[in-house]
Amino acid sequence: MTATRWFTDRLPISGDQLRELTNEPVPNHLKRWWFALGGTPAYLFVIQIFTGILLAFYYRASAVTAYDSVAFITNEAAFGWYIRSVHKWAATLMIAAVILHQMRVFFTGAYRKPREINWVVGMFILMCVLMLGFTGYALVFEQLSYWGATVGANIADQVPVIGGFIKRMMLGGDDYNSLTLPRFFVVHAAILPTTLVLLLVVHIAIIRMQGVTDFKFKDETEEKSGTFHFFPEHFYTELIIGLTLMLILSALATISPAALGNPANPLQTPEVIKPEWFFYVVFRWLKLFSVTVAVLSTGFIVFAMIAWPFIDEQIRKRTRFKDASVWIGIGAVIVIVAMTVWEAVVKH
Amino acid sequence: MAEDTTSQHSRRDFLSRAAMATGLAGGYGAFGMIAGRYLYPARSAETAWLYVSDINRLSDGESLLYEAPDGEKITVTRSTTTAGRVEFVAMSSTCPHLGCQVQWEPQNSRYFCPCHNGVFNPEGVATEGPPADAKQSLKRYPAQVEDGLLFLEVRTERLVAGNQGKIIEAPTCGNGPGHDPCLSPIAARGKERPA
Ligand code: HEM
Ligand code: FES
Repeated sequence: MTATRWFTDRLPISGDQLRELTNEPVPNHLKRWWFALGGTPAYLFVIQIFTGILLAFYYRASAVTAYDSVAFITNEAAFGWYIRSVHKWAATLMIAAVILHQMRVFFTGAYRKPREINWVVGMFILMCVLMLGFTGYALVFEQLSYWGATVGANIADQVPVIGGFIKRMMLGGDDYNSLTLPRFFVVHAAILPTTLVLLLVVHIAIIRMQGVTDFKFKDETEEKSGTFHFFPEHFYTELIIGLTLMLILSALATISPAALGNPANPLQTPEVIKPEWFFYVVFRWLKLFSVTVAVLSTGFIVFAMIAWPFIDEQIRKRTRFKDASVWIGIGAVIVIVAMTVWEAVVKH
Repeated sequence: MAEDTTSQHSRRDFLSRAAMATGLAGGYGAFGMIAGRYLYPARSAETAWLYVSDINRLSDGESLLYEAPDGEKITVTRSTTTAGRVEFVAMSSTCPHLGCQVQWEPQNSRYFCPCHNGVFNPEGVATEGPPADAKQSLKRYPAQVEDGLLFLEVRTERLVAGNQGKIIEAPTCGNGPGHDPCLSPIAARGKERPA
């Protein structure tokens, strides 16, 4: 009693206010699993921060020590293999979940007015997550880490006007050198996560301001639609999802733990070289066109994706193809899946 | 009169705001510049002219494989121009597309880049893949002959700090002290060079 008084005297917050703050009414259709796809990457991100900090205790970011320190984490540190594998699998799932979430938003048309801004924020989240994947992979300093970073920097070099600057900034020099790996580490472990936190805060603040898009489904009777409470109902659901995710991650980590390839060798590009699966599309694209065409077209596609809510609005206003976005979306998904599978099955 | 004072007022207002904005932008900008300059690498990769070989070690059309201190494998080929001048072409093994290391495939008489399937002929001209689309060739290092000695301008370090640069394959072996180590003899480039 007096303890409560002691606190409320100093921090004038009442239980009611707290409840109000956290008790957002959530529309019923969020009970459908595919609407939880936004919450899943958020949960996975927390796991990434947690496991990432643990990894940073033993990881030593320099070309001379990095590979050995990862080997130490994998083979010697107690549960090191587990922490590392969970970090790797959660990254994979997070990217998959963000992509699925984005597809859900796209195909339900939830990016339309007034939510255009949040779609743009979402695109930056997507890019941030992909960059986290790229920089994280570079840290292991196995063969593919080195060559992936080299190729990535040279792609950046092709960007008109600012490319050279970006490449030098990325590598800390004209080529991969002893300053490079520490940079990747700082970007991966400090800059990108901070950026992602800020983006997520904005993303979620906007969602709370606007509310999630309200849908009516055919099988919903009147009293089934409407809202339920964020706390405790939705919160419990999230807790259960979270624990399930941890179990899935642990299973994946045990069945297929993160491996360690050959150490980076700047003098020899491996016979077969592949990036992580989420870059297969880009990788295939690079093989199909000259680098200028590949870079400019990729830039154009990313720009079109960012601007999609506005492009879509114009299409709907000026033409009679009201569902164009659905067909374009289906086409894009088919192309992306096809290129990914293509890259996955061939050696070169 | 009243009008005059308001406009004077708003002008002063504007000026003070502008001064404030400039001051703030300049102040924070200066810190930003310091951070940016600190992060932007000052040093370019270091290069040096290094002695490779006596030019008589190769006859026309023959080549040797030289490993620069940074580990890059350089194919050096001798030729003589119609005017009778001895020339050397020193070809890099770094793919001009996105920087992977190409590999000589003796069975196909070509260089292959595993990253995006770039293919180069023995002269280093791209014939397939994205480097061919962009009409690229393997880069050439500056070469110079002085007093019958061949020098190349190469990079002295990459990730592994400099060893000294050495010939790893050459058609004839120098012998006796002071000569380059010579591992395996090779024929003219593009014909029967071993892998
Ligand atoms: C780490 C990544 C992300 C997290 C944690 C996240 C989180 C969320 C959450 C919790 C929601 C609420 C609705 C739901 O769960 O589906 C949401 C909605 C939304 N997201 Fe994301 N998101 C992420 C990435 C993205 C991306 C990549 C895009 C698209 C480019 C995007 C665009 C949107 C939009 C436009 C909404 C509003 C949709 C509506 O109100 O129905 N988000 N996000
Ligand atoms: S780096 Fe050689 S083909 Fe792309």
